[in-house]
Amino acid sequence: MSVIYKVTRRDFLRDLGVGTGALVLGCSLTPEASAKLPSVSELIHGIPVPDVPFVALKLNGDVVIITHRAEMGQGIRASLAAVLADELEADWSRVTLRQADADSTKFGVPFPYPIPPETKLGYPYNRARGTRQFFILDPDVAQFTDSSRSMAAFYVPMRLFGAALRRAMVMAAAKKWGVDASECYAEQHQVKHRGNEHRPLDYKRLLLGAQKVPVPQYDELQTWLKKPAEWRFINKEKMRETFATDATAMVTGQVQYAGDFHIPGMLTAMIERCPVANGAVKSWDDTEAMKVPGVVKVMKVSIPTPLGPGGVGGAFIPHDGVAVIAENTWAAWQGRRKLKPTIQWDLTSPMAADNARYDSTEYRRTLQESTSKPGRPVRWRGDVDGALGGTTVEAHYYVPHLAQAPMEPPVATARLAGDHLEVWTTTQNPDMAQQMAGVVAFGIPYDNWELEKTKEEMRKKVTLHMPLLGGGFGRKSKPDYVVEAAYLARENPGIPIRVQWTREDDIQFAYYNAVSDQYLKASLGADGRPTALLQRSAFTSLFGTLFPPPRKDFTSEVNTYYREKRRDFRLGGEYPYGSSIERSQGLEDMPFNVPNLRIENNPAPNHIRVGWMRSVANVYHAFGICSFADEMARAAGRDPKDYLLDLIGTGGILALEKEHVEQNYNNEFPIEKIEVPFSGSKVFQVIPGYPPDTRRLRKVVEEVARISGWDAKKGTLPKGRGLGIAAHRSFLSYVALVLDVSLGDNNELTVNEAFCAIDCGLAVNLDRVTAQIEGGINYGLSMALLGEITVKNGAVEQHNFDDYPVLRIDHAPRKTTIHIVQTDLDPTGVGEPPTPVVAPALANAIVAAGGPRLREIPFRKKIVV
Amino acid sequence: MPVFQLHVNGSMRTVNVDGNMPLLWVLRDVLGLTGTKFGCGVAQCGACTVHVNGRPVRSCVTDVGVAALGQITTIEGLAQDGQLHPCQRAWVEGCVPQCGFCQPGQIMTAAALLARNKNPSDEDIDNAMRGNICRCGTYPRIREMIKEAGRLS
Repeated sequence: MSVIYKVTRRDFLRDLGVGTGALVLGCSLTPEASAKLPSVSELIHGIPVPDVPFVALKLNGDVVIITHRAEMGQGIRASLAAVLADELEADWSRVTLRQADADSTKFGVPFPYPIPPETKLGYPYNRARGTRQFFILDPDVAQFTDSSRSMAAFYVPMRLFGAALRRAMVMAAAKKWGVDASECYAEQHQVKHRGNEHRPLDYKRLLLGAQKVPVPQYDELQTWLKKPAEWRFINKEKMRETFATDATAMVTGQVQYAGDFHIPGMLTAMIERCPVANGAVKSWDDTEAMKVPGVVKVMKVSIPTPLGPGGVGGAFIPHDGVAVIAENTWAAWQGRRKLKPTIQWDLTSPMAADNARYDSTEYRRTLQESTSKPGRPVRWRGDVDGALGGTTVEAHYYVPHLAQAPMEPPVATARLAGDHLEVWTTTQNPDMAQQMAGVVAFGIPYDNWELEKTKEEMRKKVTLHMPLLGGGFGRKSKPDYVVEAAYLARENPGIPIRVQWTREDDIQFAYYNAVSDQYLKASLGADGRPTALLQRSAFTSLFGTLFPPPRKDFTSEVNTYYREKRRDFRLGGEYPYGSSIERSQGLEDMPFNVPNLRIENNPAPNHIRVGWMRSVANVYHAFGICSFADEMARAAGRDPKDYLLDLIGTGGILALEKEHVEQNYNNEFPIEKIEVPFSGSKVFQVIPGYPPDTRRLRKVVEEVARISGWDAKKGTLPKGRGLGIAAHRSFLSYVALVLDVSLGDNNELTVNEAFCAIDCGLAVNLDRVTAQIEGGINYGLSMALLGEITVKNGAVEQHNFDDYPVLRIDHAPRKTTIHIVQTDLDPTGVGEPPTPVVAPALANAIVAAGGPRLREIPFRKKIVV
Repeated sequence: MPVFQLHVNGSMRTVNVDGNMPLLWVLRDVLGLTGTKFGCGVAQCGACTVHVNGRPVRSCVTDVGVAALGQITTIEGLAQDGQLHPCQRAWVEGCVPQCGFCQPGQIMTAAALLARNKNPSDEDIDNAMRGNICRCGTYPRIREMIKEAGRLS
């Protein structure tokens, strides 16, 4: 199942930067490769074998590890490499990292052995590209860095790769010495003999021998994995050292982000876009723009039909606009300023006309009306209507549209040379960016662009470089700006064109997190605990942007086609309701143990493009339910932490399927374990199940109460100071947060301290988990205190950090205390889970400090920040 | 177009650009010094911070003609004699960066603060650093490592 082989592919050698003269060994886990284990002579003569090139050993023994995920601040680049290096017993000073280009088919890690055909594996595991091969992660999403899943998906494969290579080295040394492999062990790039009868051998002297080592069976390789006590980096403080190289490059200005590449002959484009979704360009006058020194060309940017119609905002098709192309950024910007007043927009199409009437203030009332009426039940047990009565608590919660606003505005450079397109861009979604850039540059008809053979062709014809990102937060999962660059490259063949977005572009043309209204109502029993809970959520689904809503200008067949297509695409739901993905983020998996429960999803039509932002639907769902828990506690006269523990109860695995929840892959991993028969009667659990387990939620609440001194502080805090608590599961991890705040006489807010407990399974990189919690809390504070996108006449009203303020250092908590629960469960997400709990914990703390109950984001409307 | 002589990181560089072009774009597009970042263009975020005569300025709103009157230091020129600046050393030691994009600007502002105050209080740090946004939210470590850099320098 594992094979070490000589890499001869010129492109890979070039990627590694080692030239064709070097001996490079690759490592593969594909069953096909093991079935076709090449003989030594084949290796020497360079017969290519299928490869998954995650790691190579060079002639001098140094290790090159390919980092294939998008690095946007989560530290996954060094973390995954360190997992591999740990199992390989590599000397980290002899490891270099090389950022991959987009090439997802290389990185969809196959299951390490054949899967019986009768085994059912759902998305994202069952995509086989015309073979019976199953993948741990679908090649389409193997590089799609989203949903906090990099470590969850690649932790096991990276360990296996490392262990397979270490095993080969040990066995090669054993053979050389004529001893049993059990007498040998690897340590820091050397194989040593336990009896010290032989001098240690560096890996570089074992390369040829390692090629002859027979391939291990999967269960044998499992025995080569290190024991936790043997880890150097995994779950160890020492792993922070693996970040030093990247950190040094960052603090000296040496990292080349996408906008930092200067391609000879490159021109820079800036685009003035139609402010209304689905609008078009009617006319413009380029006379004044062309007078600006350095401006070369002014041209329309309107992506023709190849990408299909999309929904409100047109999926990943950019808003139509007019580009000013110039010799440098400043000239393009000056030309754009001259151009802007001359552009007339065409808002006459039915969708544009509808979107141009969008007013977010008015729409808030629409959403409230929506949740004031029964919606579609998505989960229920008992009899809510019969049990609602007596002492009731009810509330609406509102979260506006939000823009991700990563520090680095979107940027993409593209050059079309003959039938090859080369792209440099900042993207979380390299495969889709590569596909869409190619489809636009080469004019692939819409009917063909989703075909496998088209995808393969695009992977050959488009080279997409994916350097480090200056932040992502979900914005860069959408490749609209890459499409713009590809379009301009097509129209200007041979010339590298960089599309540079301004901050204004970023804020006015984000893919906004949904605007939402939630309505919660509960009846409290004599003991103060809820006997019935009704929860309604209306939010503008991101699927409303991906797929067309029913349209009068479509035939009923076309409308039916898109309705079914949306429903079948990752359980995308039906317009104007939400998708399973969004509903499973804090709504359907609501963790409280209430005897009578009904959860409903209510309609919310789309009018601007909607995407997703760090933690997505958990943002509004956690704000609603975690605030409401505190409201119920106060109505019952109980301590909010004790009450929260009561709501969770003793805990257990939520049996969502018994309560009518549509089967979903919660956060894109299976809820059920996948077990595969292997070696006769033996059964392996190949993919862990991740059902919501409220025992783990309970545990983080208890831990955060402990580290915050919740009980001891009760009744001792001075007037104007309070603690708030919230707990939420998202992206398979469990987080509880306590915020300690002070309020001045005029509701001036200070966040004194944050306490956070997380259960993210095995915390592979302790320092980066801590960093993600610190950062996630600040991202959540930014959103809760300050975040608001408003829309008037279909156009976003905010422009830059002056009117879309974000958190600054003086509003960050002075102290953050973090507790990471130690478990031996497989690792789960950390990028997003710290964010959802922040707004409700803050709202609850403000009430505890004597302030008002805030049910609307941003809080700056009611308190002074 | 006018010709400007710029003193950048100890060298003299001659550029031939529009006199209103902000220093940021001269550095990035003309001189290839891309360590200085574009984040907002209106002096709101601090990603473009450089030193002119030792003082932190927002290069996105500083005309090249004004910058030509002083000594310019960018993140590429902050290390002295092959030694990283104490802020840079502390930033690496404390694993401050996440995406890293804002950090050149953060460090230039922090270095200017430490040049006049080696032992800044939390309030001093707030006042100096409020103009530099970090969307990854590395503020706790920036605060801690400014103090550490003060001890190192």
